[in-house]
Amino acid sequence: MKRPLLRSLQHKLLAIVLMTTMAAVVVALGAMIAYQLRSYHRDLVSDVTTQADLLGRTTAPALIFDDAKVAAENLGLLRYRPQVGAAVIYNAKGARFAVFARDDSERTFPKLPEADGTRIEGHDLIAFKRIVDNGEILGTVYVRADYALYDRLTGYLFIAASVLVLAMLVAFALSAILQRLVTRPLLAVSEIARQVMETRDYSRRAQRLSTDEVGTLVDSFNGMLAEIERRTRALEESNREQAREVAERTRAEQEVLRLNQELESRVQQRTAQLESANRELEAFCYSVSHDLRAPLRAIDGFSQALIEDFPDSVPEEARRYLGKIRFSAGRMGQLIEDLLNLSKVSRGALERSSVNLSGVAAEVASELQQREPARAVEVSIWEEMVVDGDARLLRVALENLMGNAWKFTARTAKARIEVGALRDGGQATYFVRDNGAGFDMKFVGKLFGAFQRLHQANDYPGTGIGLATVQRIVHRHGGRIWADAQPGKGAVFFFTLTGGS
Amino acid sequence: MRPWALAILFALCLAPPCAQAQEEARAAEVRIKAAFLYKFCDYVEWPPAAFARPDSPFVIGVLAADAIADELARVVEHRTIHGRGVSVRKLKRGAPLAGLQMLFVGGADGTRLAELIAAVKGQPTLVVTESEGVHAAGSMINFILVDDKVRFDIAPQPAESGNLRISARLLAVARKVLAGPS
Repeated sequence: MKRPLLRSLQHKLLAIVLMTTMAAVVVALGAMIAYQLRSYHRDLVSDVTTQADLLGRTTAPALIFDDAKVAAENLGLLRYRPQVGAAVIYNAKGARFAVFARDDSERTFPKLPEADGTRIEGHDLIAFKRIVDNGEILGTVYVRADYALYDRLTGYLFIAASVLVLAMLVAFALSAILQRLVTRPLLAVSEIARQVMETRDYSRRAQRLSTDEVGTLVDSFNGMLAEIERRTRALEESNREQAREVAERTRAEQEVLRLNQELESRVQQRTAQLESANRELEAFCYSVSHDLRAPLRAIDGFSQALIEDFPDSVPEEARRYLGKIRFSAGRMGQLIEDLLNLSKVSRGALERSSVNLSGVAAEVASELQQREPARAVEVSIWEEMVVDGDARLLRVALENLMGNAWKFTARTAKARIEVGALRDGGQATYFVRDNGAGFDMKFVGKLFGAFQRLHQANDYPGTGIGLATVQRIVHRHGGRIWADAQPGKGAVFFFTLTGGS
Repeated sequence: MRPWALAILFALCLAPPCAQAQEEARAAEVRIKAAFLYKFCDYVEWPPAAFARPDSPFVIGVLAADAIADELARVVEHRTIHGRGVSVRKLKRGAPLAGLQMLFVGGADGTRLAELIAAVKGQPTLVVTESEGVHAAGSMINFILVDDKVRFDIAPQPAESGNLRISARLLAVARKVLAGPS
């Protein structure tokens, strides 16, 4: 219980009580002493003055009738006033008429009388008083009395010191008892506060020992402790929760990381497998296509030879069959040609250069027109479309897209084909638009797959490889291709090329 | 400086050994006695009936002591006694003694003195004498010389019979205060 701070509080209270007591006692005693001394002085002066006056009046007849003996007798009465040490009656001429001295040590008198008045000389109070009778000055009285002011002061001071010491002792004892009333509850709170701080145990509660402000303090303190306890618990709860969440998240992240790595390695693996398979497939496709052409040419050639070399011996029926064989061989040849093209665009390096897309489109359009001079198609090509890309592949792409447009506008009355570009910031989007057969947008997913046909081969001839080839070319340029169409209203193919100006 | 005070001083300081000194001592005695006579009045109260009118003067009769009468006349000049003017009368033998507030009888003529005193007995007249053994006859204040100093005895009884009140303060400085007549 004896903490330095608490001791200091006790000391402070004690000091306050003692100092207050001391101040009060000193002031009271000082005032009393001052009052006592002042009244002593006043009383003594007035007493001695009165005495001198009385003496003068008593000795007036003795002076008048020149009776020094009577005057001496009168003075002798001063024996009964112990504080009077000496007295003298001077006659009108200033000579000593009668003297009184309490003892020999007092036997010193002023030679001549002085004017009326009193004064302090050391430890004596001296008074002079004229004796006046019927307006005549008969003489002067001199009275010397003990002036015990300093003795009294000393005595008073001694009493004051004793009282002060006593008062301080009483105050000390009282305050030691009464202080407990104030400090004990405070000390209890303080002790609890210290224990709480040391042990971090917020479940402790201070005991309420009084109903005063300290009691209120105790209640408030306990309230605060309860609040702190609640918050601490909540905080700990939340911390645990967070820690668990963090741990979970970390685990999940590690899992994700692990899965990602696994996935990545699998993707790489698969990609490698795919690439190798693709390469094999392409090689296979190329060689098959290439190798298929020779027997096909033999089939076509010998079919033609049969028809031409034996015009009479081949019946009409066989001749028709041979025609079908030749047609099929032609279609197969076309198919092989497309397959070779598709594999070609996938093979070899991309040779980028500045390509005038408008010029290429115009050439393609004129080729198409030459192939079918009978058709009247309105072709509009925007000018000055210059891109950075592989000229050969871009030509193949435009041949396919414009060829499709040409093909699917075959049954449209006023066929129209438009090749242009839309600029969106630095990125240019090129399009090939027609007002032909169009297609249903629900099939758009199948559009760019190889051998996918949306129309009957009878309606529109084709191998179903063209758009796959175009997509391959656009992808090799780092671009994107998509389409928008409505059945019977035409189709638009959009594509972008990175590196285009 | 008062003349009588001077006289006291003179009397105190000089002890005259020669005839001239004797003469001077005699003169001092006269002055002192005159002064005392005047001062006695301050310590004696007269009844109102002692005066014929409220503004009547205070009358002092002096018999057989002309020197003292002259000196006294000088002393009381421009002075008052109990607020009254003072008149000093030199009395001849057989002169009427009524209307006097004070009577001083000089000399030591025993029988005549007794007669005089008897004449004013019962009247408010302060009788002052200067001879031995006169108190029995009714003198109230009697001067005597002690060691060449003028002192006096007082007999209050006769004064009271004349309705005079002698102050205790005067009694205090008397050489003797005599009891009443036996």
